[in-house]
Amino acid sequence: MTPESVPIVSGMTESDSPWEPPLAGTEVEHLVGALERLRATFRWKADGLDEAGLQKRIGASTLTIGGLLKHLAVVEDYMFTIKLSGEPIGEPWDAAEWDEHEWPFTSAAGDTPAQLYALWDGAVARSRARLDAALAEGGLDQLAHVSDGDGHHASLRRLVCDLIEEYGRHTGHADLLREAIDGLVGEDPPPGWRATSGG
Amino acid sequence: MTELDDHGRPEPPLGGDELATLVGFLDYQRATLAWKCAGLDATGLDATVGRSTMTLGGILKHMAYVEDYWFSERLHGHDPSPPWAAADWEADRDWEWHSAAADTPEQLRALWQDAVIRSRALVTEAMADGGLGRPARRPWDNGTAPSLRWILVHMIEEYARHNGHADLLRESVDGETGE
Repeated sequence: MTPESVPIVSGMTESDSPWEPPLAGTEVEHLVGALERLRATFRWKADGLDEAGLQKRIGASTLTIGGLLKHLAVVEDYMFTIKLSGEPIGEPWDAAEWDEHEWPFTSAAGDTPAQLYALWDGAVARSRARLDAALAEGGLDQLAHVSDGDGHHASLRRLVCDLIEEYGRHTGHADLLREAIDGLVGEDPPPGWRATSGG
Repeated sequence: MTELDDHGRPEPPLGGDELATLVGFLDYQRATLAWKCAGLDATGLDATVGRSTMTLGGILKHMAYVEDYWFSERLHGHDPSPPWAAADWEADRDWEWHSAAADTPEQLRALWQDAVIRSRALVTEAMADGGLGRPARRPWDNGTAPSLRWILVHMIEEYARHNGHADLLRESVDGETGE
């Protein structure tokens, strides 16, 4: 992961690496671009695994890539329903114990690979539509439903940055897990990469 | 005064403007790395997990390098500062990762901390000289140059990703976990 890897990738065309953010875009383009780059990178690190791969652990940690797929699917839906608008989280979570911190991680062991990829892919598709609609409505300065309890509400800018941070951190976990599973390493998906598993 | 959490980290602003939010998130990530590396001796900073050769000491030295690379060399066009200028990058592209094993914990922490202090001043300087849209003084070979905005967002990603590595390394060293 050297900084020198960046110029090589940025020279690619958009169709090769659609996840690369612009070099000198607007604030929205940069933040949404960073989020999309991390989503693509996480999905690449998680892609094409069987049950054993998705349940692999390393060191003293109980984290798994399967657990991360399910956790991030919950985080996506939570961010752009309950936190953004105050609406219920909706399908497929409302009958599940999604709000118990450990549940996405522990219950993922009982899901098939196809179910886990579909959960994440579905949540991201919903998030894209919700974030696009909110940005069109009021931009990054708009205040979200979530507050600190003293009447200070988070801005949409803060929520997007929270999600960038969340993905960055968990993609770091996925890096070390994936390397232990099959030796795959690297900072960015290779040019032209597309997900092979899931819908 | 910004409020610090139990691990000495400044909470990013809830409703700040673009600059305050980006710098707030970057400083929170920097403080997270400091926490994940806190209190460890040379053995702890040199531990690995799984199949990866990454270490916490290597992350500290790599992030010191990355701070200087983006904010000093790229953003302002400055020459590499020591020890980067003296390193033999031809012999080892990952020199900062590997050479960290020979540094003391005090050296690694100081190297990183000093780089962070330099970066903060360089961001302030660039903000006074064009703001977030200001292009890096040293463009890439194809002539394009990232904006300060791009560099700040990239650094948040870079830290968050390495802090994910730090989470698993630290847990394997002494069981300490936490977001």
